[in-house]
Amino acid sequence: MIDILSTPILITVILGVVGLAIPVIDAGKRERGANRNKLFSGISLGAIILAICLILFRIFSGEISGSVVFSKDVLSDDLFGSFFAIALLIVSAMVAASSWNYMKSRSNPAAYYSLILLSSIGMVLIAYSTDLVMLLVSWELMSIPTYALAAFAKRDPVSNEAAIKYFMFGALSSALLVFAIGLVYGIAGTTNIGDAIHAMSSLKPDLVPIGLLAVGLFIAGFGFKMGLVPFHMWLPDAYEGSPTTIGALLAAGTKKAGFAAALRVIVLGMFVLNVDWTFALAVIAVFTMTFGNLGALVQKSVPRILAYSSIAQAGYIMIGFALAPYSDQALTGSLFHIINHAVMKSAGFIAAAAVASVFASYSLEKYKGLGRRMPITAIAFSISLLALAGVPPLNGFWSKLVLFGAAINSGSHVAWGPWLAIAGVLNSALSLGYYAWIIRKMYLEEAPDMTKVKEPRAIVAVLVFAIVFMVGFGVWYGPLLNFASHAVPDLATLPLPVHR
Amino acid sequence: MSQLIDFVIVSVVLVSIGVYGLVVKRNAIRMLFSIEIIINAANLNLVAFSRSLPNVQGQVFALFSIAIAAAEVAVGLGLIIIAYRLYKEIDVAEFKSMRG
Repeated sequence: MIDILSTPILITVILGVVGLAIPVIDAGKRERGANRNKLFSGISLGAIILAICLILFRIFSGEISGSVVFSKDVLSDDLFGSFFAIALLIVSAMVAASSWNYMKSRSNPAAYYSLILLSSIGMVLIAYSTDLVMLLVSWELMSIPTYALAAFAKRDPVSNEAAIKYFMFGALSSALLVFAIGLVYGIAGTTNIGDAIHAMSSLKPDLVPIGLLAVGLFIAGFGFKMGLVPFHMWLPDAYEGSPTTIGALLAAGTKKAGFAAALRVIVLGMFVLNVDWTFALAVIAVFTMTFGNLGALVQKSVPRILAYSSIAQAGYIMIGFALAPYSDQALTGSLFHIINHAVMKSAGFIAAAAVASVFASYSLEKYKGLGRRMPITAIAFSISLLALAGVPPLNGFWSKLVLFGAAINSGSHVAWGPWLAIAGVLNSALSLGYYAWIIRKMYLEEAPDMTKVKEPRAIVAVLVFAIVFMVGFGVWYGPLLNFASHAVPDLATLPLPVHR
Repeated sequence: MSQLIDFVIVSVVLVSIGVYGLVVKRNAIRMLFSIEIIINAANLNLVAFSRSLPNVQGQVFALFSIAIAAAEVAVGLGLIIIAYRLYKEIDVAEFKSMRG
């Protein structure tokens, strides 16, 4: 039986009621004709912050059990879910607040904020779900609103094109997931993730290929959302074409929810079948980071550079997944990088949204002289780019340090472990090439017109929050790292074939 | 009395048809239908497995998945209608304004 007062249910109620109330309020007051964008932005931001406070309160009051990961229920109220829920709700909050400015002159704000809230419910429930049925339902609850959001500028052909590409691959990914869940149900006889993994550890040898096929389909299904390399081709188009604030939601939100689902299903399911297959994840990780960084080097549009960079960052996060059976440190690094990347990447996209809302262009040429024209946006964008590259005093450095350190330490278990660290470090150096290029454009090159432009106020507030987060947790990384290491799923409960 | 394997074979054939349609066809509605065929193949699998297993979770799951697929198609057709208004055609090969 589900506890009505458990955290995921309460979050669903808070966000769901507000998300459904917004269109109702809009319909009730339609006749006055005023644009109620600010009201709806405020309401949805308030609801999301209330949800974050609820999770933090539950954690600090000690009501949330440690990372149990598996339970007989469909939802488990554990630290792992809370960790992802906080990371994803921070992204939603940043998106909702920055839309205050971005949606100002655009039509239909009620549907926009309502869809953001519904999509956040889906993301949060993915992180908490321990049953494949719940996982698929919340996966779709996350995806379907984002298809509509990507097409939100409905007079804009680029937005529509992005949404159709995103929709086609998203629908394919969920079709593959349904098929994979069907196979797992067929061989394990249950849809509970924990029971299914236990059943797969004692599989009859002639059913093992079906298990591997199911895991492969899971990798493909989740990989489309996570932007892993063979499944990444839709991603730059979708992130560039959709409204830029929604780009932030896609790159930082839905992508991270994909990692939460992958961690519950693929990684844990894969170990029990054959632990050597994690090498496949390592190969995917290396290809993902390399392709992402090489693709970003030649781009001219800033959201597109950020999209390719988010492919590369997915590669770094996969390092931890590939090494998960061998060390807890690797998964700690992955989780730490997930929360950091959520903030860094949404700060980057929101800075691009600020520039787009002032200059109506995404081209890199418009960023010339931005350091003087829009000082706060430029400094926040530079900090987020440096943090993405992993420059020392910022939060991105610490998570990469933990990840690569774990990769080097794993050398005693797997010979290919340290090579992942080498690939990661080389890629970080490569990525600094295009990050530094943008920063150089902003500070060292002169635009024809160097007058100071008025920066959108709500976006500035979001960017200041992001700067505080990135610098603050860069200098004082302890609490976040501690939280991440407590949120790592307890693999000791799994029937693992390796001894660590 | 048909065997479980018969259903699985039909479902695999349906998946192949769906993937073929998705790869070869360039009409947005045909691609949407191909995805639907894959989802329905998965549903067939679920129901068939559920019949040979001592629980009904598979059939419940198939119901959920049908409802979800319907919601997905509603959004997808909406996107395609907007695309038709903008381009006066729904050939996805024409949608290539973004490059790189």
